[in-house]
Formats: sequence, C-alpha cells, structure tokens
Amino acid sequence: MTTTIEAHLPVFVVIMPLFVAFILPTFARRIRLVEGLVTATTVLGFLGAGYLASLVLIRNGNPISYSLGGWPAPWGIQLSVGDLSCLFLLMVASVSLPVALFAADNMTHEVGGPQRATRFYVLYLLLGGAMAGMAVTSDLFNVFVLVEVATLSCCGLVSSSNQPRAAEAAFNYLILATLGSALILGGIGFLYMITGHLNMGFASQELNRVWQDYPHVVWMALSFLLVGFGVKSALFPLHVWLPDAHSAAPSPASAILSGLAVKGYAICLIKVLFNVFGIALIRDLSMHRILTLLGMIAIIAGSLFALTQDKLKRRLAFSTVAQVGYIFLGLGLANSMSLTGTLFHMASHAVIKSGLFLAAGAIIAATGKDRISEMAGVGKKMPITMAVFTICSVSLVGIPLFSGFIGKWNLLLGSLEAGNRLAQAVIILGSVLCAGYLFPIIRVAYFEPAPAADWQDPGLPQKTALILLAAWVMILGAVPGPFLELAKRAALDLLVVK
Amino acid sequence: MRILLDKLLVNYPYFAAMILFIIGAFTVMTRSNLFKKLIGINIMESAIFLMFIAAGNIRGGAVPILDEANPQAVYINPLPSALMLTGIVVSVSVTAFALALIIRLYQSYGTTDARRIAELRKR
Repeated sequence: MTTTIEAHLPVFVVIMPLFVAFILPTFARRIRLVEGLVTATTVLGFLGAGYLASLVLIRNGNPISYSLGGWPAPWGIQLSVGDLSCLFLLMVASVSLPVALFAADNMTHEVGGPQRATRFYVLYLLLGGAMAGMAVTSDLFNVFVLVEVATLSCCGLVSSSNQPRAAEAAFNYLILATLGSALILGGIGFLYMITGHLNMGFASQELNRVWQDYPHVVWMALSFLLVGFGVKSALFPLHVWLPDAHSAAPSPASAILSGLAVKGYAICLIKVLFNVFGIALIRDLSMHRILTLLGMIAIIAGSLFALTQDKLKRRLAFSTVAQVGYIFLGLGLANSMSLTGTLFHMASHAVIKSGLFLAAGAIIAATGKDRISEMAGVGKKMPITMAVFTICSVSLVGIPLFSGFIGKWNLLLGSLEAGNRLAQAVIILGSVLCAGYLFPIIRVAYFEPAPAADWQDPGLPQKTALILLAAWVMILGAVPGPFLELAKRAALDLLVVK
Repeated sequence: MRILLDKLLVNYPYFAAMILFIIGAFTVMTRSNLFKKLIGINIMESAIFLMFIAAGNIRGGAVPILDEANPQAVYINPLPSALMLTGIVVSVSVTAFALALIIRLYQSYGTTDARRIAELRKR
C-alpha cells in the first residue's frame, strides 16, 4: 500500500486537487463541507509535497521520474521530480494552505453567497493542481495545457467577485494571457519542428545537436517563449494587466495570484530555458544579457510605479512587478549564486506577498477603506494584522534575519560573481525603493492618530492564516538551511551543460 | 529574389500562418470593440494551429494508418494534428469564458466598447 502510494505520488499531487475541484460543485449547498474538503486537500497536498521532498533528499537529488499511463519517455508524458520541482511544490503547498484557511472565513462574505464561494474554491483547486503540474511535468505540450488551465482559473478567480470592475480586469487579463499562450504554443511548435520531440530531455539532446542548422527557428522559438511567458509572469513592459487584475480580485485570490501564479509561469520559463535550451545555448545566443536587462528595468520601473499608488492593493500589485524583475535578473546573471538567489527569492516572495495581500484584505474588510492615506491608526486597532503586515514588509525589503534578505543576498553575490556593477546597484536600489513604498504604510498605520471607529482584528481562522504566513517568513529567514540547500542544488542542476 | 520566391512557394502554409498571426495580433491591439478583440485572438490561435499542423505534414504522405499491402509508404506525422485538437478545445473554452465576461460587462455598462467602458468606470 505505502509503496503504491509512494510510486504514484508525483502524479497524485497533481491529480488530487483537480479531482476534488471537479466534485466540489456537487456539495455547493453545504458550504462548510466544501471548505473542509478544500482545507483537507491543501493539507494532503502539503504532506505529499513534503514526502516527495524527503524522497528526493534521500535519493541525493536524483530526480524521480514517472511515466504517465506506463508509456515510456519519448512517447508518453514523463513527470520528473527533482530539487527544483520539490522547491516549487513546497512553495505552492505552504502558501495555499493558509490562503485556504483565510478564504474559508471570509470568502462567502467577500463574493456574496455560498454558491459563488464554491465556484471560487473550484477555480482555486484547479489553479493549485495546475501549479503542481507545472512543477513536476517534463513535457512541453503538457506545459502548454497546464499553463492554459492556470490562466483560465486565474481569470476566473479575478472575476469571482462579480463586480463590473473585476469583469473588466478579467477580460483584459484574459485577452493578454491568451495572446501569451498563443505565443507559447507557437514557440513549442518551433521547437517541435526542429527537434521532433516534446519531452524536455530528448528535445534538449536533439536541439544541441541540430541548432546550428536552424538558427532562425531557434531564435523564433526563444523569442516566442520569452514573450509568452513574460506576458504571463508580468515581466515589466508586459505587466499592464497585472495591477488591475490583482487589485480587483478578492483578497485571497490576489494573494494566490500575486504569490504563486506568476511564479508558476516563471518556473515553466526556467524549465524551458535551462532544461531544453541549456545554459550553453543561452550564453551563445546572449539570451542572458536580454534577461538581465529586462529584469533590471522591471525592478526600477515596478518600484517607481508602486511609489505613486495610493490604493493599498495596487501598490502591492506593482511591488509584485518589481519582485518579478529580481527573478528575471537572477536568471540572466546565470551563475549558481544568482540562480540560488532567484529560486529562494521566488519562494520567500510567494510567502511574503501572500501575507501582505491577506493582511491588506483583512484591513480593507474591517475598515472599508482601500487608500493608504485613510489608514491612520490601523496598527493600534488591528495589532495582529498590522504586525503580520510589518513582518512581511520588513522581510520584502531585505532586512537581515528575514527571508527576503537571503534571496537578495545571494542575488547580490551572484552579480558580484558575474562582475555586473549595474546589477549590484539595481539590486540595492530596488531594496531602497521597496522600503520607500512599504514603510510609509507602516508609519501611517502606527504613528498617526486613530479615528474613533470600531475596527477589529479578523476572526480566529483568518488570524491563524496570517500568523502561519508570518511564521513561515520568520522560519525561512532564521533557519534557511534546508530550503537554501534545496535551492542551491536545484541551481547547480540547472547549470549542468547537457 | 528567385530563391526567396521559391522558398515562399514551397513553404506557403507557414507564410499563411504568419500573415494570419499578424492580422490577429493587429486586431487585438488596435480594436476597442470587445468582440473584435476576441475574434482577433481566435484568428491568432488559428494561425498557430495551421503552423503546427503544417509542420506535421509530409507532401505525398499517406494517412497514418498502417497499410500491410504497401509497407514502404511515407506517413504524415499525426501527432501535431492530435495536439492541435487539444489546442482547439482550449481555444473554444477561452472563447466561451470571454463571451461570458462580455455579457457581464454589457449588463453593467451597456456597451461593448473597451474605451467607453474605461470612461464609464472612471466617472
């Protein structure tokens, strides 16, 4: 029994959320049951991810590979769970559990009625399943399908509050995201044309043999994939959909969209770039320079835009644009330190940004105000929420002992190793700007007199979710050992020349 | 010039796909009518499907069903066509969802023009 479960665990973590998502609507009338099922699913997913990580750890980083339906690799779909997949799975699981807890307490209220809340949960689990799939799959067409599942559920999550504003944001998001998926599919098509394989490993071998015969097709494939995944992970000039979508969505949805969804596409891009094209080909085509440049522009521009926003959720959304810049910058520097930094920053930003969005959601729900300038005194009336917000902000800025510091520190070491002065300056400037747009919120909340209003911390489940996320931030920052090790090994794995 | 023209004639499905893709992308970017945006997206996706299927085609290839009588036959590659079936299903679901959103927008704003909706929202 245990061996059967162990053997099928890689597919189990993907199938389970999808399966539960499809049976949820039958229980739509009993919202407590739905919430219980969702929480149970996320807990099971967490256990599954943790067990998989321990298995990979025992195998010393050798990836577990699983052939779907028993068809071996070049014909069937192959899943492979290595260090990178484990890191991402753990990240998905550790964020989706608190967000589910938070949603169970506030979703019915936020979207209006249990029916709608059930729909929200269906999309939530579909997104979770798609994310888990992106982590483990090593088949190019499978990547496209999962990206589409994730995109549609993201758009659905944005519009789940049924506000006209949300519908508009969701439509713009849908159009741009579909443009992105068409480009991704085109890129995969070009790769298939010259390699004849959809399996990443086989495609990579073939590509490194034949790419010099088809340089133009390789360029087309690379640019299609970069722009496609760039639109979806909100790389700076392509981020236009993000602020509206993430601020119009209900708070748990924005937490999961900002924290996880953009990272899912980034992971797909990392897999395609490093596992299919390979580091040597990226260097030959100077792709790393383009990525570095785009990353730096995203950090500066995203932070500057964030500084000018007065609406709390919009400011956080623009901050995501800036943090995605860090991820791409680390990919562009392409050495082991910077990749470790990127992967660690990805995980820590997922936790931090979910915490920030959930805290913001709790504040907006309690006060009914969404402008930062109107939030005077929130810190005194809602101590726990604001404490979590502060911990997350401090961590995102990158103060030592918090998780954001470790990712940024490794990125900085990576840029020193690459000898890129400009990147060093941008990383530090990005942190300063980050302090510039997050600390004023804390100042307003704590040091300005509170109006005589009855604002209170949210109920126990929401508080638990917030405290869980804050605890994650502290743990990742204080004892980063195992996670950093995982990120380091995943980074070294990506840099192997095939 | 001759060579270019020859290449164009031989690879005409790819050029058709490219032209369709540009038409679709242009429609999405420039039109403000939500339906036209959606149609643009559909044209763009069709272009990608065409390119993918053309990649699997072999001129003079047989239908990919094993023929005992003629073992030397060259078969076309069925995999891209099969994949594009999935792609078409995805594109249909995107279209359905987008239409639902357009209905929702029309109910609340009384128009399907993106610019007008942006104006109404700001007011």
